[in-house]
Amino acid sequence: MGNADTDIHDTGALFQIEEPASARKVPLTPGRAIGIDLGTTHSLVAVAPNGADPRTVADGEGRCLLPSVVSYVEDPPTVGWAARTAQLEAPSRVLSSVKRFMGRGTGDVDFSHPYTLVPPAEGAADIVRIDVGGDKVVTPMEVSARILEVLAARAEQELGEPPTGAVITVPAYFDEAQRQATKDAGRIAGLEVYRLLAEPTAAALAYGLDRGGQGLFAVYDLGGGTFDISILRLRDGVFQVLATGGDSALGGDDFDRAVAQLLLEKAGLVEPTPLQREQARVAARDAKEALSDKDSVEVPLPDGATITLSRETLEATIGPVAERTVAPCRQALKDAGVRAKELDGVVLVGGSTRTPLVRQLVESTFRQPPLADIDPDRVVAYGAAIQADVLSGSARDGVTLLDVAPLSLGLETMGGIVETIIPRNAAIPIAARQVFTNYSEQQTGMMVHVLQGERELADDCRSLAKFDLKGIPQLPPSMARIEITFELDADALLTVTARELMTGVRQTVQVKPTYGLSDEEVDRLVIESLDSAEDDFTRRNLAEARVELGRVVLAVGAALWDADQRPGLLEDAERASIDTAMQSAQVVMAPDGPTDHKLVVAAREHLESVSEGFARRRMERALLAGMEGMSVTEVSDTLAADEDLDDRRGGHGPEQVSKG
Amino acid sequence: MAAAGDHFAVLGLTARHDLPRDEVETAYLARAQVWHPDKVAPGETAARRQAMEASAALNEAYRVVRDPISRLEYIVKTQGIDLDSSDENTGAPSPSQAFLIDMIERRDDLEQAKASGGSKAASFRDAVEDSHDEAVDAAIAAVAGGDTPAAAQWLVQRRYWQRLLDEIDA
Repeated sequence: MGNADTDIHDTGALFQIEEPASARKVPLTPGRAIGIDLGTTHSLVAVAPNGADPRTVADGEGRCLLPSVVSYVEDPPTVGWAARTAQLEAPSRVLSSVKRFMGRGTGDVDFSHPYTLVPPAEGAADIVRIDVGGDKVVTPMEVSARILEVLAARAEQELGEPPTGAVITVPAYFDEAQRQATKDAGRIAGLEVYRLLAEPTAAALAYGLDRGGQGLFAVYDLGGGTFDISILRLRDGVFQVLATGGDSALGGDDFDRAVAQLLLEKAGLVEPTPLQREQARVAARDAKEALSDKDSVEVPLPDGATITLSRETLEATIGPVAERTVAPCRQALKDAGVRAKELDGVVLVGGSTRTPLVRQLVESTFRQPPLADIDPDRVVAYGAAIQADVLSGSARDGVTLLDVAPLSLGLETMGGIVETIIPRNAAIPIAARQVFTNYSEQQTGMMVHVLQGERELADDCRSLAKFDLKGIPQLPPSMARIEITFELDADALLTVTARELMTGVRQTVQVKPTYGLSDEEVDRLVIESLDSAEDDFTRRNLAEARVELGRVVLAVGAALWDADQRPGLLEDAERASIDTAMQSAQVVMAPDGPTDHKLVVAAREHLESVSEGFARRRMERALLAGMEGMSVTEVSDTLAADEDLDDRRGGHGPEQVSKG
Repeated sequence: MAAAGDHFAVLGLTARHDLPRDEVETAYLARAQVWHPDKVAPGETAARRQAMEASAALNEAYRVVRDPISRLEYIVKTQGIDLDSSDENTGAPSPSQAFLIDMIERRDDLEQAKASGGSKAASFRDAVEDSHDEAVDAAIAAVAGGDTPAAAQWLVQRRYWQRLLDEIDA
């Protein structure tokens, strides 16, 4: 554009310009930020508080990987391993690989999936919306937020306090819409997103600090659903992305799909049911993983039969998919102006790089064996945690991370041609300006269409935003001067500033992608999420209080029965007050009892206090009876063991309750 | 934010067409560390805004100055001729009639070379690349000699050669 005389259209529509919402001022708490790898198939959270080595945080059962799966079969939805088990029975209500839908419109979905997408309403933004049954429709951002919430809760357990901020990783190749969607997911989950960090940069950060040197690195990241290649340079304490490329719809899931297709063919299933398709996919994934170490494996077919799959057959099947990663690698080297042999290391990231065929391909493309010292599943989360720690204000010596614009940013000019204003691989943050003028005195408005992509025609690029600028002062042709600044911040998110040079008035619009949620929608989801968090919290408190009361009622009831067998242990007056307390407890415990957990707690405390003396006397008597013939040491050991047991019961009872 | 005339100043470098690549890199990296928004706490909105603007100016300066060609074009621009403008007086000069006729002939050759392929296509590309490099050398000499209009003329020709090279590679 820029050529003022060619490209101004009077549209007459209103240009909504608003001041950006001022960021909330959050006090910094060093060491309480978390790093999240929000992956297509698995997600992880890691912490590296106050300069500590990064560590991933496991769930109660010691598992660090959280399957990026959310099941809407239950309400509230379940996340992770539990959700995955429901996948076979309800494939359309259990969402996996939702990252593929992030920042996408229904028209972009050109891959197969078992979900029911809701067509966009007339005139509304085209965002993927998934019907998960039970009258519930969700966006990929909300689904991702559920995963983030679980990870944040895990980190809270580890840190002892809620995390103050998070660094969330995204594929370097993610466009503006996908990044914005990720940031929105963080906000919906109630997280302060300090930074979106490119996954390869995170991986290099984890490696670079370990090595502490200078050098040129390639990061080959083949995850479940995305492929990224980045060339980075570490020099003078700065990690600089020289070039990045990839394919945001290529990953290990495609291996699984190719193998699943083969399995379905072997089983003679021309038109498989969704269930059979899903069974084949699960069998394919298991077979692929097993064949990383073995030469052949038995695979169950959806029709009940079993076939032997050799590594050779696997590689012949997935080879064409894996080969698709080579061209982006070559392009990235070229963009960076680096030859393969100049690289000091090639870092592997993502579970799919465990496949031997992929390692061979990497080795032949970069002419050197790849590095895999750090678990390729965790390396990204480690890097995110390190950067989160730096940004939380801890004393850690951080390297500076310079990212690049993943895709060129351009404007539509006459004839639908795109003129690039910020080229791909330009270091960010960066700003570009264009000055527009009027072609006639009558013209008071113009349309600006912002696009992202490398293609020459606007139709082939992703439409980021279209807006109309109105209010141009009436001036002779070519006399008006409207300067528009396009600015990509450190997260590669776009802000557009328009300044009318005649009056000097400056206004800003935060550009929301065509495929994104509006600010209002995000706010609504944040509130909903807070509401339901409140609701969940209340329900959990009530459940815990009821279980506690039930435990005391059972114990007192058993003691009363015991007292009935031994007259004299309990005086009538005491007995009467305990009975009254028991009766009120029964009322509170009834299914239609009070929903305020405080009433339940009060009933328990009352019952405990009126039965306290009775309980103590029973204990003493039991103790005396049990001690007959025991030595003093034995007695104190027994008491200590009992106390210990009580402590542990006291500490763990409510948690187990809340899980059930 | 630094004005559009200050790319060398933003980097703390003197305006020269023959800056060593390493000097540009060192100057850039030293400033990038100081001005990056990550160096400012997430809550400090105003300070982050400043850091963001300083970084954006630095990165734009780096993009322009790092590449020898865009650096030459930028020097010519600071001396009054903007190759991205079509303004009669201050915009890109029109190439000579002779040059345009030469380009038309080369384009015909391109079709033939493409059709025959192999070594013929390769030697055609080499010849275009030589013409491109000659234009760059001539532009450098003109800038060094203070002849801005001549430098602009050569740089315009270079753009034609570059476009032809891109078409050959496409």
